[in-house]
Amino acid sequence: MRYLLLSSCLFILASCSSVYKNLQPATGDINYIQKFKPNFNSALYKAEIDVTGHHLSGLLLIKTLPDSSIRMVFSNEMGFKFFDFEFKQNGDFNALYVVKQMDKKPVIKTLKKDFELILLPPKYTQKAYLLKDNYSLYYIFPKQKGSFCYITDLNGSEIKTMEISSPHKPIVEAIMKNYTNGVPDTIGITHTNFNFTIGLKKIER
Amino acid sequence: MRKIILVLSILISGLVAQAQLAGYTPVTDLAKFKEQFAVIAKKTETIKSDFVQEKNLSMLSEKIVSNGKFWFKKDNLLRMEYTRPYQYLMILNKDNMYIKDGNKENKVSTKSNKLFQQINKITIDCVQGTVFNNPDFITKVYENKSTYLVELSPAGKALKEFFKSINVIIDKSDYEVTTIEMNENSGDNTIIRFTNREINTIILDAIFAIK
Repeated sequence: MRYLLLSSCLFILASCSSVYKNLQPATGDINYIQKFKPNFNSALYKAEIDVTGHHLSGLLLIKTLPDSSIRMVFSNEMGFKFFDFEFKQNGDFNALYVVKQMDKKPVIKTLKKDFELILLPPKYTQKAYLLKDNYSLYYIFPKQKGSFCYITDLNGSEIKTMEISSPHKPIVEAIMKNYTNGVPDTIGITHTNFNFTIGLKKIER
Repeated sequence: MRKIILVLSILISGLVAQAQLAGYTPVTDLAKFKEQFAVIAKKTETIKSDFVQEKNLSMLSEKIVSNGKFWFKKDNLLRMEYTRPYQYLMILNKDNMYIKDGNKENKVSTKSNKLFQQINKITIDCVQGTVFNNPDFITKVYENKSTYLVELSPAGKALKEFFKSINVIIDKSDYEVTTIEMNENSGDNTIIRFTNREINTIILDAIFAIK
């Protein structure tokens, strides 16, 4: 029992060591965050990506397949495909197609992490824990380096923002707004450490 | 050995049958077709039309349909305006391209990007009738009762990355392009169908102006 307490304390200390160190531990059901998991049965978004001064626009189709895997296909308005990503239910990821100009490891890795953040929940949920301050609840999902963090109001009625954090600071901030039938109408992803934003606006078909 | 040859022959004949497009046979008088196509294309100064674009994602059983308006004027002036379900405008004026996407505007010189140049040349070549002179593609021509089908297979590595083939369907009655099908290696494709075509009506240059 003493070892269990010690290891729990060490874990909490390690977890709170920097980026969320000013927050208080909170009790509650970590799986409550599932409430905000978007239901991407088949949703089409107008997508705008800005990377270090370059603007890329197109259509992003997000579709859940019968095996529960989620596919994201990004093409431009005239039909030229940029990428086709597969997110398996068990957390595996496959880049099924990436246009040569984008087919670079750091690019794919960045996009994969960004989209994993909005798909909720991330892997390693068994290590997840809850923190709070006077205004918000923080659902923290530690990753190999840093963590994914979902921030709701204290009542858990609204998801305010989502973050990917390095051990020291948030490096990606994302929002999902105006849910209709479980599908957000607006999604925004912003990198704080370099000029990279993704904006998605749902298209009614 | 004879059995192996027999099996191989059956396999090869199957592949040949598959390679030929369903319902189409190779055109019998290719020279006549090229000549007629070139004559009509030469007379075509302007085209104004509506279009419906269908992006088919085969593995996902999904279809993304968009509509818009198309304007073409000789030489090398093209405007494609997507109106539904999103707004997107593309103008090609000689070597310059202008894109308006929502409130964002972008100007690109196609001279600086070979791939852009090659892709834009396809549409222009199709409507101008110069598609057979395009060294970026190997062309084959097929026909059925009412249409010709010009199959363009990319010759270079860069275009092969995007397309397995591009099929241009031409109405036999007036030699006008009715459909462009861009087939990807994955089995996905994009089909643009032109409707309500108006040939040689007056289109002002201002419509292609890049400000």
